[in-house]
Amino acid sequence: MSDEVLASPGVRRWRAPGFMLAVPAWAWFVMFFVLPVGFVILLSFGAKPDIFRPYSLEVLSFDQYAKALDPAYGPTLKNTLRVGITGTIACLVIALPFAYWLAVRVPPRWRGLLLGLVLVPFWTNFLVRTIGWQLIISPDGIASSALQQLGVISQPLNFLYSRSAVLLGVVYNYLPLMILPLFVAFDRLDPTLREASKDLGASRYRTFTQVTLPLAMPGVVAGLALVFIPLMGDYITAEVLGGAKGNMLGQLIASQFLSAQNWPLGAAMAVLLMLSITVTGLIFALVGVTVRGVLRRRRRIVIDVLEVAA
Amino acid sequence: MSNNDGLRILASTQATQRLSRRSFLAGATVTAVAGSTLITGCGSSEPEPTAGAGSSAGPIEDQLNMYTWGEYDSPKVLKEFTASVGPKLQVDSYNSNEEMVNKLVATKGTSGYDLVVPTGPFIPQMVANDLLEPIDLTRLPNFSNVDTVYLGQSWDPNNDHSVPKAWGTTGYAYDTTKVDREMATWQDFLDVASTTASGQVSILDSPDNVVGLYLWAKDIDWMTTDMALLDEAQDYLVNTLAPHVKKFESYPGSNGMPQGSFWLVHAWNGDARQGILSSDDKDRWKWVLPTPRTEIWMDNWCIPKGAPNPNAAYAWIDYVLDPGVSLKELSYIGYHTAIKGIEPAANEAGLDRLDIVFFTPEQIATMEAGELNDAQQKRVDIWNAMKAAAGR
Repeated sequence: MSDEVLASPGVRRWRAPGFMLAVPAWAWFVMFFVLPVGFVILLSFGAKPDIFRPYSLEVLSFDQYAKALDPAYGPTLKNTLRVGITGTIACLVIALPFAYWLAVRVPPRWRGLLLGLVLVPFWTNFLVRTIGWQLIISPDGIASSALQQLGVISQPLNFLYSRSAVLLGVVYNYLPLMILPLFVAFDRLDPTLREASKDLGASRYRTFTQVTLPLAMPGVVAGLALVFIPLMGDYITAEVLGGAKGNMLGQLIASQFLSAQNWPLGAAMAVLLMLSITVTGLIFALVGVTVRGVLRRRRRIVIDVLEVAA
Repeated sequence: MSNNDGLRILASTQATQRLSRRSFLAGATVTAVAGSTLITGCGSSEPEPTAGAGSSAGPIEDQLNMYTWGEYDSPKVLKEFTASVGPKLQVDSYNSNEEMVNKLVATKGTSGYDLVVPTGPFIPQMVANDLLEPIDLTRLPNFSNVDTVYLGQSWDPNNDHSVPKAWGTTGYAYDTTKVDREMATWQDFLDVASTTASGQVSILDSPDNVVGLYLWAKDIDWMTTDMALLDEAQDYLVNTLAPHVKKFESYPGSNGMPQGSFWLVHAWNGDARQGILSSDDKDRWKWVLPTPRTEIWMDNWCIPKGAPNPNAAYAWIDYVLDPGVSLKELSYIGYHTAIKGIEPAANEAGLDRLDIVFFTPEQIATMEAGELNDAQQKRVDIWNAMKAAAGR
């Protein structure tokens, strides 16, 4: 056999099939996504027999879904969607000009430093950062005393434990996740395209809306998804800053697993949360695609071939 | 084996005859008797055996893992225990008995914890589900320091599995600079919560206490299994009270009260005391033990099955049963530690706000213990629905 190999003109070596490269990723995906989510879905069809057993899968039914869809939980779902959608849009509105400025206007030598500063909050634990806000906006915190000394308010600040406090917290916590993909998208744009747009007579506004923004769309979509999805499931921010008014589904699910010890109900709520995230995402995607279609149609330049020929 | 056989070693025969031990938490009708023995019990000093931790089977391990309620031991005592006895401590905390029970069930004896602190009514089922090791009282010389009034409760008549840690009750505190009226009853709480203090109220994040709030105001047993009454409670809590709640919080004393976030807080007495003492302006707060009824609960040291460091666990229990150590614990946590003579000792030491720690026999007569009964799930459902409705 060795003779044969040596005899052949090109040495034939054993080559691993290409898919082997993806094995670690697939193993990870199965272990940490497919199995846990599969178990959560299975659990959601179970029941809670007594307080000494958090779940039982002896009889499978839709009972937990009926309970989870109880109108009593409607306000919590509404709150969650409201915070999720408003928070994501607020992140986009704040991040868009900043990322554009960082990628286009800032001299390249400063970009690394500024981008590093955007990431600095991630060096601190999520919970600790959020508790930091609790200290700042509490009635005896620094924001309250500063505003009182400036004469803006006469009573201690009554802002902690409200929906607005949760909104502040989520925008703060998730903003970097919006800035990064936007920055990458703007950074990748070829500056010559903007120049070409200018040469052809487009105003700065028109260049931004018709050249820069459409080309950066993949970054916008990535940012929206990166912020909206974890934000909808967040419960730490709401737990620390929200109080009774700013409650979110994440808290309700956590309390089913930790306090009420009703794992099947918690699992059913988690599945419903995933569904509502998917449905909301689909609705927005549909609106986005429709708007794009309409815009393209309106902006289409029809060149009549016959006329040109004549 | 009768109850007395198990307890003979624990107290003088004179004392055991005199005391109606089980009556302490048994209900309002008999607590008046227990209340009077409380006072005599505190005054009389019985001969105490010399303390000596760890007369045990084998050496004390160098680690001790405790799973307990939040802020439930004095940090100073924890440090001194390691310094004088040896084991290094790791303390984890939970918010409810259910949470603790579940962790023990899920890990099937491999939780790694050496001590847990369940509330009384949870103990029988924990024993039945084989979650707890029996406790050998002969290995606890300081056990004789426990006031016999608190021994042999209905959930563990011979203290085979538990040793009293602390007991307390539920009441409320209000900020007198914001609420300008006298308050004394649970009905006052509900009235003020939905008027003057609307939107500035903190409610205990615990199913039993949430339901108790309404039932106590109406002078109804909070452990009722009458579904009509529970539906009535649900209707009031979800539709009337929920919109006025600012936060569901089991430990308002640790942050919310000193921060000034609430005007009216529903709280366990020790936590309310911690909150008042850590506020800049202590006189702003007024504590109320409301009438006509309220809760009494007692937490107990237990050793979970499969505890890796049982000798260290025994050493710890014995250590905190020492009257001097117990006083330090009480000074920090603000709950009665069930040790003989702790009330006079605390008075003598001049500790702050002892009116929130010790109660008169008349007050104790209005307190009722919780139980684990058929209405448990309904109470959890009401609590869930109320929390959801508060976000409306």
